[in-house]
Amino acid sequence: MSPRRTDTGGRIDRLKTIRFTFDGVAYTGHAGDTLASALLAKGVTLFGRSFKYHRPRGLLTAGVEEPNALVTVLKGEVREPNLPATMVEIHDGLVAVSQNRFPSLAWDVNAINQLGGKVLSAGFYYKTFMGPVVGPLKGTRFWMFCEHFIRRAAGLGRAGSAKDPARYERMNAFCDVLVVGSGPAGLMAAKAAADQGARVILADLEPRFGGSANWSGEIIDGAPATEWTRRIVTQLEARDNVRLLPRTTVWGYYDNNTLAALERVSDHKEQPAKGEPRHRYWAIRARSVVIAAGAFERPLVFPGNDRPGVMLAHAAERYANEFGVLPGERIALFTNNDSAYRAAVALKKAGAAVVAIADVRSDLSAEMRKLAAEAEAEVLAGYAVVATEGGKALSGIKVQRFDMVTGTLSGDARSIHADCLLMSGGWSPTIHLASQAGAKAEWSAARQAFLPPSPTLNSPVQHWIGAGAFTGSFSTAEAIAEGRAGGIAATGGTAAPTTTPTVQAVPGNPDPAPVFEIRAKGKSFVDFQHDVTSEDVRLAHREGFVSVEHLKRYTTLGMATDQGKSSNVPGLSIMAEALGKPIPEVGTTRFRPPFAPVSIGSLAAERFGDLKPERLTPMHDWHTTNGATMYSAGLWYRPMIYGHAGETVEQAYVREARATRESAGIVDVSTLGKIAVQGPDAAAFLDRVYTNMFSTLAVGKARYGLMLREDGFAFDDGTTWRLGEQDFLMTTTTANAGKVMQHLEYFLDVIWPELKVHVTSVTDEWAGAAIGGPKAREILASCVTGTAVDNATLPFMGIVHGEIAGAPVMICRLSFSGEMAFEVYSGAGHGTHVWEALIEAGKPFGLVTYGLEALGTMRIEKGHVTGAEIDGRTTARDLHLDWMLSKKKPFIGSAMMDREGLVASDRLELVGLIALDNQPLSGGAHIVEELEEANPHGSIGHITACCYSPALGKHIALALVEGGKARHGSRAHVSDPLRNRFGPVEIVSNHFYDPEGTRMHG
Amino acid sequence: MVERLSPLEPEFHVGSHGNFEHGVEILLTETRPGSIVQLAAWPGEEKKLIAAIRAVTGLALPDGAGGGLSEGVKAVFGFAPGKFTVSDEAEGLAHAFAKAVTPAIGTVTDLSHGRTAIRIAGPKAEWVLAKFFAIDFALPAFPVGAGRSTVHHDVFAQIQRTGTDQFDIYVFRSFARSFWKALCHASEEVGYEVQ
Amino acid sequence: MLITCPYCGPRDVIEFTYQGDGNRERPDPASQNFEAWNAYVYDRLNPAGDHNELWQHSGGCRAHLRVVRNTLTHEISSVAFARGNHAPAARRKSEDKP
Ligand SMILES: [Zn+2]
Repeated sequence: MSPRRTDTGGRIDRLKTIRFTFDGVAYTGHAGDTLASALLAKGVTLFGRSFKYHRPRGLLTAGVEEPNALVTVLKGEVREPNLPATMVEIHDGLVAVSQNRFPSLAWDVNAINQLGGKVLSAGFYYKTFMGPVVGPLKGTRFWMFCEHFIRRAAGLGRAGSAKDPARYERMNAFCDVLVVGSGPAGLMAAKAAADQGARVILADLEPRFGGSANWSGEIIDGAPATEWTRRIVTQLEARDNVRLLPRTTVWGYYDNNTLAALERVSDHKEQPAKGEPRHRYWAIRARSVVIAAGAFERPLVFPGNDRPGVMLAHAAERYANEFGVLPGERIALFTNNDSAYRAAVALKKAGAAVVAIADVRSDLSAEMRKLAAEAEAEVLAGYAVVATEGGKALSGIKVQRFDMVTGTLSGDARSIHADCLLMSGGWSPTIHLASQAGAKAEWSAARQAFLPPSPTLNSPVQHWIGAGAFTGSFSTAEAIAEGRAGGIAATGGTAAPTTTPTVQAVPGNPDPAPVFEIRAKGKSFVDFQHDVTSEDVRLAHREGFVSVEHLKRYTTLGMATDQGKSSNVPGLSIMAEALGKPIPEVGTTRFRPPFAPVSIGSLAAERFGDLKPERLTPMHDWHTTNGATMYSAGLWYRPMIYGHAGETVEQAYVREARATRESAGIVDVSTLGKIAVQGPDAAAFLDRVYTNMFSTLAVGKARYGLMLREDGFAFDDGTTWRLGEQDFLMTTTTANAGKVMQHLEYFLDVIWPELKVHVTSVTDEWAGAAIGGPKAREILASCVTGTAVDNATLPFMGIVHGEIAGAPVMICRLSFSGEMAFEVYSGAGHGTHVWEALIEAGKPFGLVTYGLEALGTMRIEKGHVTGAEIDGRTTARDLHLDWMLSKKKPFIGSAMMDREGLVASDRLELVGLIALDNQPLSGGAHIVEELEEANPHGSIGHITACCYSPALGKHIALALVEGGKARHGSRAHVSDPLRNRFGPVEIVSNHFYDPEGTRMHG
Repeated sequence: MVERLSPLEPEFHVGSHGNFEHGVEILLTETRPGSIVQLAAWPGEEKKLIAAIRAVTGLALPDGAGGGLSEGVKAVFGFAPGKFTVSDEAEGLAHAFAKAVTPAIGTVTDLSHGRTAIRIAGPKAEWVLAKFFAIDFALPAFPVGAGRSTVHHDVFAQIQRTGTDQFDIYVFRSFARSFWKALCHASEEVGYEVQ
Repeated sequence: MLITCPYCGPRDVIEFTYQGDGNRERPDPASQNFEAWNAYVYDRLNPAGDHNELWQHSGGCRAHLRVVRNTLTHEISSVAFARGNHAPAARRKSEDKP
């Protein structure tokens, strides 16, 4: 006997055949099938091997809470592990494989772990991976060796390493009402809110809306529940204020009603449509939320409750009614509550024989006895299942008399032949989202479940309303009424009395007997996914783990994808019993996001690969078509070198730097931060922001400025140009542009709101080209019109306006390279035009383009500081910039810069280094007085930047060294054990080249 | 006059793209205004600045945060307290404002080169923009004419709704190509046309 | 988390930058009172409950905002422009203790 497809019934399309493979075997199913239902219909009962013991496992559930039947889906080279087979919709070409088995699912060598059960008990990982603390293996790496194999044997699916070519997206949504769950409660809530004119989003993790209506077999409003659902969904689809999101799991509930959801857009298709993402991550900001997430049925804990063929009662009902699959021909049930009787009737109707219903309760209502009779099932009231039999499929069960008050078994065990056992331990509302939102669940002794608190107890930053089974109202009639009321309340309205749809349902008391465990010989599983048994929970208690949060981590109960969906309450009840406390005093763990696994791709979304934002200068395309090797500097792309064929990076930058010092070079400086500082108080503001004076700067002149932080350390430097009486153009380093902008805005907004100053980022307004070298002025003179560029018209730090090739330009004579140099600014849209004109004009003069490497080389030769030296730990004095600290005025940082520690004589100061062994130096290398390669010690500083200097013909570096200037002329050593670079250096001034500045002053 | 180079050039492919077999639901274009100017009033001087805007452009700004309007080739909207973005097809707007906005009223900053204006139009414009920005694009929340300042990762954007199904997005020039590529990518599923 | 910017309306926290404890009072620029400077630069209140915070709407209008946010519930009880709204009267440390 085995499971089979029924001839009629279910919400599948028997006319559409779908072909797929599982573990290499070809199968067929129908449109509307999940991988679980399609395989079950073909008689497959073995779906996976358990986490620790490698026990054979079958389907426990039919939905998202499935702990056993986790599979890996293969798409090309890409593998996605740990998907519940119950959530995988089949499509033509689907390739799925089972997990955690070796070499095959049916024959697994690690199943031997079961025999060593004691070894793998609670806390196994903690105990094992600490390593032996006594004995011959103490302190050896033996356990690290073993760990490799143990970890391989125990675990879930294997992640792939192939690049995922699928497309992921993020979507922002706003709505008045988000309804989570589309069962009768959710549908009514969505409809009621939409009727009020609210913007509604209805999300359900299943592909079909309707929830329990898809399989309850109930009659709503005179029509089958499935038909009623279809009618409501059709109405909702027609409304433009409603967005329906099937296949969408709301997995996170964050502050101010921000919810995160994952829509599986095209996983169910063979190929996504053009441009269609695989997953879409929804960030939903909802004014209010109706949680109609339903409830999870709980397993019962008894020996052998994990054998394939044992499943939850409602899951069997779902397979029969929703998928047209009978999970067995001879079905037995084991329950502590009434809901299993409905399942018995449903399976009987679908064509199975229901052989027996074992109920822990000895007193059964007449209604339940009637339902049992309808199912033609033998009623075993006051009985419990104490064992299951069979290998990879169930062949029978053993039952025994059970006293629910004492928990004791009596009498002889009786064997019952069955190929499927359905169990029901009652229902737990899906309170995960409410718990994430900070709600403290309340224990209901009647329902034997944690219920969400009433909405009035919501946190001040989350506003949700519960409806249906989520609130513990397990009947469809209640769900419909609560859904409608919740939908209206969520819009701020009040529900007018009206006739709600009538429901014809099987009767039943929603309150189960408080029995979750049958204590008998054999492994009884609480958490199927992690192989946590009832004995593990008791062992943890004996070892002193009395808090639920500790219990969870020690035993791994309710971890990974399960997140306590099925195991939570049974585990707690066993813990409570061990502690001798009632469940509410034991408490429950707080659920955290995500409710169900989320693809990393959907979180990365468009921030990934080619879609990552990048910043390009106006001359970017010129650089790339003219041989530049581009280098990413933050988000910017800048030329590193313009290499010739066969040149190394070093050869290229040495050539570029040498040519610049010999004739002229040009470099793109558009990335420099540029901030317009405008207004009547602009000069006064700059006096406060910079350590030096700017109010004394004449219009048409520029000045080098230094900024400190409030704590007195150096912050940023750059030149600021006075374009008009109230109009300054500040430049910052590329890296600090954003930080400086925020710094200025903070002081204007918060500290000095009385200053009339506006600051605006104009970085992108201007293209900048710095042209320097002995021939630079001649080149400019040959192409600039509308102004002279001679020393009188354009002195050092002077600014002129003119045109180059018809485009307006602004030229400032300033120098970073140490040569006679000019920064030519033009409108960004004219940047390439002006750049090309300069290149053309420079041809007769031997002008070269140079990149960041040559720029860095020339600045090291000049001893200028950049972010490598202004590293947040250095002061103006450390960098020999104390000449810039005005004594005439306070400025940001002036009050704190003279603190004891900031003026100490042993601080690291900027120096120059020359390699005495004529070998390259390395950035970050330590400087030591005594070299001891085997035992590096006694660092007196480190290298911040280094290069080969074509001007000096030596390997040089800038460094921060204790004592600084006092060491000029002395010898030390570089010590870089990581890169094995040791050698003698001479400490010199940081101004290596042309210290008097005669070249740039001309 | 020297023509300005668009930062989108190598990635600007006129024609239909993506899943357009079932129709094009997005139109993308670069509006290339000759002038983009930022105006900012000192606290208390906003009304005078609004009057200056009217005097120079003829556009009468409605009251309220983020208020704005667009008429033909000119547009204006508020994007921050006392701050407005004005654009015009013609060049030289900053020059015109330099006289009207006296130092006592506020400041004028020319951003004609520094910002790139991208127009997205069509029935799926809200859908595509929602992939980038965490603001509500629904018409009641974002009326025609209004402006918004927002950000997509590091890409700062000012957005003006210039029609029921049309938005003009002003982004920093250096980010424009990167943003444009992302916008095209995001529009593929609904089919888009570049004009 | 959403912060309701007085200019832009409610916006996601991703558009904002935390700019520190809003209780700090910057001493007079010319002040040489080291205690006061030290308190301004380094001392931060860390209350369990309502906290005066500074946030910048850096991904929006760029205004700095004074936000009163409950560090236990994350509830934001008020938001105002920093411009024109001074730091609340400095609280002594002892007042922090519950
Ligand atoms: Zn704002």
